[in-house]
Amino acid sequence: MALIDLINKNIVKIPLVSTNKPAVLRELVQILKDADEIEDIDGVLNTVQEREYKQSTGLQDGIAVPHAKTVAVTSLKLALGIAPQGIDFDCLDGEPAKLFFLLVAPPDMSGPHVQALAEIAKLAQSKAFCRALAKADNAQEVVDLMKGE
Amino acid sequence: MSNLIKKIMVYVDGTEQSVTAAQYAICLACSTDAEMFAHYVINTKAVEDLLKAKIFLQDEQVDYEHDMEADAERYLNYIDDLARQKGLPIAKKRSKGTIHQEIVNAVKEENIDLLVLGELSRIRSRRDEFYDEAERALRTAPCSVLIVKDEDRVWNIYDSLV
Repeated sequence: MALIDLINKNIVKIPLVSTNKPAVLRELVQILKDADEIEDIDGVLNTVQEREYKQSTGLQDGIAVPHAKTVAVTSLKLALGIAPQGIDFDCLDGEPAKLFFLLVAPPDMSGPHVQALAEIAKLAQSKAFCRALAKADNAQEVVDLMKGE
Repeated sequence: MSNLIKKIMVYVDGTEQSVTAAQYAICLACSTDAEMFAHYVINTKAVEDLLKAKIFLQDEQVDYEHDMEADAERYLNYIDDLARQKGLPIAKKRSKGTIHQEIVNAVKEENIDLLVLGELSRIRSRRDEFYDEAERALRTAPCSVLIVKDEDRVWNIYDSLV
C-alpha cells in the first residue's frame, strides 16, 4: 500500500491545538480515533510514546514523524497534523515542529510500514513542499497538495 | 497454447492485493502447466534511507529488517500453502534491496515469461515523492506483466479450481 492511499481529509487536522509534545502526540492519535481508524487510543498512544522516549522523532525544518508498531491496529494508519504556530518537539535542529506525520502499523506489516515511512522521508526533503503544507488553510488543501493537484 | 507461458512469477509483499495476485497466478500456472515462482523483497534500501534521514534508530533498522525477514517467511509460506492446496509446487524466492530492482533482477535470473502483480494504488499523485515500487517494476520488467484486480472474482476462480 502506498502512502497516497492513506491520505484523505478525515486524517488531517489543521490547526493542531496542542502546545507541548505529550499533548500533540495524544492529539495526533485522537485524529485516528475521530476518523474511525482506531479503537484503542491508549494502546496506540503508549507504543508511540515508547518510541518517542528512545529518541525524538522530531527532525529538521519543522517536521516530525512519530511512528510505532502496535497490535492495536490491523493495518497501516496515517494521521497528518499541522501546527502553524510550531510546537517544541525536541527536534534535531532545536526548532519547533509544524508538520506531524503519525504512522502506525501492525507488527506483521513491516514492509508497507517501511515503504510509507520512506515516502514521508522523501517528502520531508522538499522544503518548498513542506512550507506549502505548513501554510495550508484546511484539510482539503493538504490532500490536494499531497496529490500534487 | 501451453508453451505460451512457461514461467510465472508473482511479487508478494504481504498486502491483500498481492495475495489475490498469487491466487490468480496459481490458477494461471495450473491451466498453462507453467512453473510458478513467488518472490518477496526485503526493502533494505528503504530502511537504510530511514536511518540516514534519522527517522530510524540503529536498533530500529535491525528490528524492522528482522520483522521483514519474518514477514517474508510467513507470506511466502502462505502462498506456498495456497498453491499446494491446488497441487501446484512453487519456488519461493526472497531477496534484499530496492524492490523494483530486485523484482527485475529475479525476472531476468529465472527467465520469467510473466510477472504477476497485485492491484496498484488507485490514487495517482503527481508528486515524485510518491512512487510505487510495484508500478516501477511494471514499467521496467523485461517481460509481460499482469495486474490482477477484482478480488472477489479471483477468489471464486481459485476456489473452484480443482
